[in-house]
Amino acid sequence: MVKEIERAGIPVVHMCTVVPISLTVGANRIVPTIAIPHPLGNPALTMEEEKDIRRNLVARALRALETEVTEQTVFEK
Amino acid sequence: MKLELGYIYIKDIQFAEKSKVENGTLYVNKEEIKALVMEDQNFKSVEVELAKPGDSTRIMPVKDVIEPRVKVEGPGGIFPGMVSKVQTVGSGKTHVLKGAAVITTGKIVGFQEGIIDMTGTGAEYTPFSKLNNLVLVCQPVEGLKQHEHEKALRFAGYKIAIHLGELARTLVPDESEVFETPTVKEGFKLYPELPRVAYVLMLQSQGLMHDTYVYGVDAKQSLTTMLYPTEIMDGAIVSGNCVSACDKNTTYHHINNPVIHDLFSEHGKTLNFVGVIITNENVYLADKERSSDWSAKLAEFLGLDGVIISQEGFGNPDTDLIMNCKKIEAKGIKTVIITDEYAGRDGSSQSLADADVSANAVVTGGNANEVINLPALEKVIGYTSVADIIAGGFSGSLHEDGSITAELQVITGATNEMGFNKLSAR
Repeated sequence: MVKEIERAGIPVVHMCTVVPISLTVGANRIVPTIAIPHPLGNPALTMEEEKDIRRNLVARALRALETEVTEQTVFEK
Repeated sequence: MKLELGYIYIKDIQFAEKSKVENGTLYVNKEEIKALVMEDQNFKSVEVELAKPGDSTRIMPVKDVIEPRVKVEGPGGIFPGMVSKVQTVGSGKTHVLKGAAVITTGKIVGFQEGIIDMTGTGAEYTPFSKLNNLVLVCQPVEGLKQHEHEKALRFAGYKIAIHLGELARTLVPDESEVFETPTVKEGFKLYPELPRVAYVLMLQSQGLMHDTYVYGVDAKQSLTTMLYPTEIMDGAIVSGNCVSACDKNTTYHHINNPVIHDLFSEHGKTLNFVGVIITNENVYLADKERSSDWSAKLAEFLGLDGVIISQEGFGNPDTDLIMNCKKIEAKGIKTVIITDEYAGRDGSSQSLADADVSANAVVTGGNANEVINLPALEKVIGYTSVADIIAGGFSGSLHEDGSITAELQVITGATNEMGFNKLSAR
């Protein structure tokens, strides 16, 4: 899906846990997430802490979307 | 470490007044089995059924398959840390009711248990159609949570398998086989010319009832470690899995691991079988990196020349598989990986979710997306209604006449990634 949308000229950020698979399939902007069953949350934390995690990840993804890349890039921060 | 397996061949299973083994027949007292299962207050009721090779019988949804064994000499007992107390097993003598199995069924997750057909097309795809099976159909009490149901059913299976295994304690085996693993030092001295080969056994450990236990330890909470191969034959590793049926390793697969048996048959001839490295398949990327780092580190530490890696499950464990392969190859150690494929119904899609050029020796258990037709059978043990929601099934899978059209992944053990099956395309 990432590749097909980009082929249509729209940049994509792939938020995912298993970064190596994302790299293998050819995503260009990758934001690593928490865990496979709960990519944007963490059931071990409180609702407030989870909200912070989500906000930070989405903010990072939006930043990645604005960033020019020349090769596959993983946005660790 | 040295273990002798004594096989008592079971050719038939029947209900009887007294549980015993006589002339290759396993006689089982049904009420005795029921009473044992009902000791667990998590169950409301239990039915005990028989399923023999050739019977027009379908069993579904299948949770686990377990071979009855008993330890007759040496320390510890079968399923250490789970049922028997924690003690290192794998030495001495163990008796096996070869040809018999206990099958547990239940609607735990519904979509993640499998089908065993005792005759017809489906029977060709599962090794368990060749066994004389005692099937437990356990009804949980109202309100029992899924994970508690899974645990109760898992223990019911072990308990009954151990109970049947006890019947073999004083019998004289029809045939015996000895398996011995020297220490690292002895191995170097004994076989200085032979390539040193180990087996990296990947265990499903994604959590949420996709779990495997080693001496009672939940594999997702363990670092990559080592076992003597014979420990596994005594039940050191058990399945707690509710996951796609075709490529999950049941407890039966673990104690009869064909990679271990084949490596033993070449041990001292074409290779030196050094041991088993067990590693997990967790859902956090950091865990995947750490566990595969440790597989590679232990492979290097043991001075290996070659490694066979088997996977369990599919999807994100494909990444664990490729990480293990890539990192071990990077140490200058050759690898062969055993996996299966989800290549689409026409077989033309990418087979694995991950790939690497160092994965250049691959054995496949088959394409789990292949569509098969299972005829209606006379008897169904368990619940047919789950056919539409089982992984590999789809809306309309279950036809009015009781026949099923579904992907191969619905069949327990159909594309096993230890290479347990005999079916091939050749």
